[in-house]
Amino acid sequence: MINEISKQPSPMLQTNNLTKRYEDGVLALDSLTLEVNPGELFVMLGGNGAGKTTTINLFLNFIEPTSGEASINGIVTHKEPLEAKKHVAFVSENVMLYQNFTAIQNLDFFSKIGGHSDLSRDDYRDVLNRVGLAEDAHNKRLKGFSKGMRQKCGIAIAILKDAPAILLDEPTAGLDPKAGYEFIRLLDSLRSENKAILMSTHDIFRAKEIADTIAIMDSGRMIMKEPAANLADQNLEELYLQYMAGHDTKAAG
Amino acid sequence: MLSTLIQKELKGIILSPKFTATFAICSILILLSVFTGIREYEAVSDQYDSATSLVEQELQDESNWGHMSTRSIRKPDPMQIFVSGLTYDIGRWSHVESTRPIKLKHSPYSDDPIFAMFRHIDFVFIFQFVLSLFAILFTFDAINGERESGMLKLVFSNSIPRAKYLIAKIIGSWLGLILPISIPILLSILLVIIMGVPMNAIHWATLATLIALSVLMFTFFISLGVAISAWTKRSSVSFLLSLVIWVMFVLIIPRASVAAAEQMVPVPRISEIESIREAYANDRWKTFYDISEERWMTSSNMNEEESEEERDRAMWDNMVLEDSLRRIVEIEIEEYEVRLLEELRQRKAGQERLAFGFSRISPSSAYQLAASGLAGTDIEMKDRFEESMSQFRSSFVDFTEKKQAESGNTGGIMISISTETGIDIKDGSDNSALDLTDIPKYEQPRRSYAQAFNSTIIDFGLLAFATLLMFVASFIGFLRYDVR
Ligand SMILES: Nc1ncnc2c1ncn2[C@@H]1O[C@H](COP(=O)(O)OP(=O)(O)OP(=O)(O)O)[C@@H](O)[C@H]1O
Ligand SMILES: [Mg+2]
Repeated sequence: MINEISKQPSPMLQTNNLTKRYEDGVLALDSLTLEVNPGELFVMLGGNGAGKTTTINLFLNFIEPTSGEASINGIVTHKEPLEAKKHVAFVSENVMLYQNFTAIQNLDFFSKIGGHSDLSRDDYRDVLNRVGLAEDAHNKRLKGFSKGMRQKCGIAIAILKDAPAILLDEPTAGLDPKAGYEFIRLLDSLRSENKAILMSTHDIFRAKEIADTIAIMDSGRMIMKEPAANLADQNLEELYLQYMAGHDTKAAG
Repeated sequence: MLSTLIQKELKGIILSPKFTATFAICSILILLSVFTGIREYEAVSDQYDSATSLVEQELQDESNWGHMSTRSIRKPDPMQIFVSGLTYDIGRWSHVESTRPIKLKHSPYSDDPIFAMFRHIDFVFIFQFVLSLFAILFTFDAINGERESGMLKLVFSNSIPRAKYLIAKIIGSWLGLILPISIPILLSILLVIIMGVPMNAIHWATLATLIALSVLMFTFFISLGVAISAWTKRSSVSFLLSLVIWVMFVLIIPRASVAAAEQMVPVPRISEIESIREAYANDRWKTFYDISEERWMTSSNMNEEESEEERDRAMWDNMVLEDSLRRIVEIEIEEYEVRLLEELRQRKAGQERLAFGFSRISPSSAYQLAASGLAGTDIEMKDRFEESMSQFRSSFVDFTEKKQAESGNTGGIMISISTETGIDIKDGSDNSALDLTDIPKYEQPRRSYAQAFNSTIIDFGLLAFATLLMFVASFIGFLRYDVR
């Protein structure tokens, strides 16, 4: 029985009719239901205010859902937040980190609070090399780091946590093309390690390039969800604009 | 986990660029204040020593027990190095003689003790004004600063209970600020030892308590900063807010309490008291003269045919009566004046109590009051010394009067005429030196450690309570804090 269930990949990240209405009445998320399985990279597209960040914040229990639930590895986040967060790593849009600490010191702190107190400096060096941070920056304070370098540290922290699920909120925003490309390659390698990855982005091209599943959000709803394979021959940008326009007319009508 | 979080806070403070400069300034200030405090103490001690030997010399030069006078001198105390309080505002010595009450003299500053409490740069001043600001400066953005940089989101994407994080934050900030400050404090203690300040066990115990008190006050400001940062979203707002609260606590409330107390319990000026006394005296004398005039009139109109002898006797009786009445009036006026002065003293004490009561709203004032109470340089310092000097005065006067009586010398000039020895004039001086072996010596007022400590219990308690309140506020604020 147990074996039978485990043969079917159960979703690592899941929302079920997840709804969030803020105190000021804004319906930021309207009955969102999605699943991300291990080894799947799920990309959320959508305009400003579509509800992408709200979704991620609900996964991390930074806000309470109005109704519905989000779960990580089957653990409902707003019921057992501390337990659920053991299974997820998070990369935010603009990782500032501790400016007076070196890259290594930042990694050391976050890997410890992430539950890995057994890591050595070599481990930190390895992961920093993997994310492509130059050796001479490893022991420099974060203060002088560019946004790209900080983002590399951010993903290094997520890698070190070695959680089965990864949430990323616009991680490539503001990165130059090369840095963006390297970032996407890293995600690819993480996916091959069987991580369930949920990422929000405005970068349609990268999304199409890497995603397993693409969803388009608008006004708190998921208005499209397709396996990326199905969209291979289509111009995603056109499709995106089409969907948005269609939804607008629907909403207006 | 907790230790990781604590270490991070500690490192965060020590590695921050503002730390080095602030720490250097505070260290220099503390060491400088203790150093100058010791130097001043030494200078005053030297003055004390030479003045005491001068007083002894003067006594030895006396040749007559009658109306002998001396001076009592306030001995400097090592605690004034750390808490100068009123040390430099009240007089250093008083005349001790039978005809004048004790009054401390030679005060270099104004003798308004309430304002004088808030002067002088010493150890307590530095903690009260500089280190409290230091504490605020390092904690005002403890929580909201991390929100602004997105660090709260990143930290709490991990499995970390908020309470644990906050405890670590408070402990870490506390250690990060206390450990560096303990260096100049230890160096100051070393300075005290090296420079040979005569500290006894009570002094050391008092100093240890003072340091504990200072650390508690410092902790209050740390927890205040954390609490403010846990109740505001932006660090710019919490910066302004904590600055305003700091100014209120450290600058406004102590002064405003004095002003408010002055409004609520007005204390008349000495000149007003004098004119009231004058008016009363004039009034009494006027009645006295009116009555006595009347008496003379009636007595002279009576019995014209009385004998001269009888008239003389009546006049004599009248004069005796008038004399005793006059004395009664004099005593009445004197008593009235004593009452007035006592009332003034009471009012002043009431005003002080009220002012201190109000000012205790500010933990910073409570700290200052506790510190000066501990060191014995508080508002009661003057009373304590004058009381001990008054006690000395009465034993001194008793002693000299007894000696004078024993020597059979009235102190006046005695002329004796005898057929055998002729005329002998004594001017009251004994030609031999006086025997001063048993003469009472002025004893400085003594306070046990328990007495000193007891005077600070209320303020200690208030400080601890305020600190606890800030902890609670930090927790409530942070548990419901929006980390986004
Ligand atoms: N704290 C809040 N209080 C009230 N409304 C909020 C709050 N946070 C977000 N919203 C609203 O919720 C909606 C969804 O916002 P959200 O941040 O999830 O969008 P997003 O898809 O991440 O947009 P963006 O691409 O600009 O990051 C928006 O209309 C926003 O104005
Ligand atoms: Mg967003």
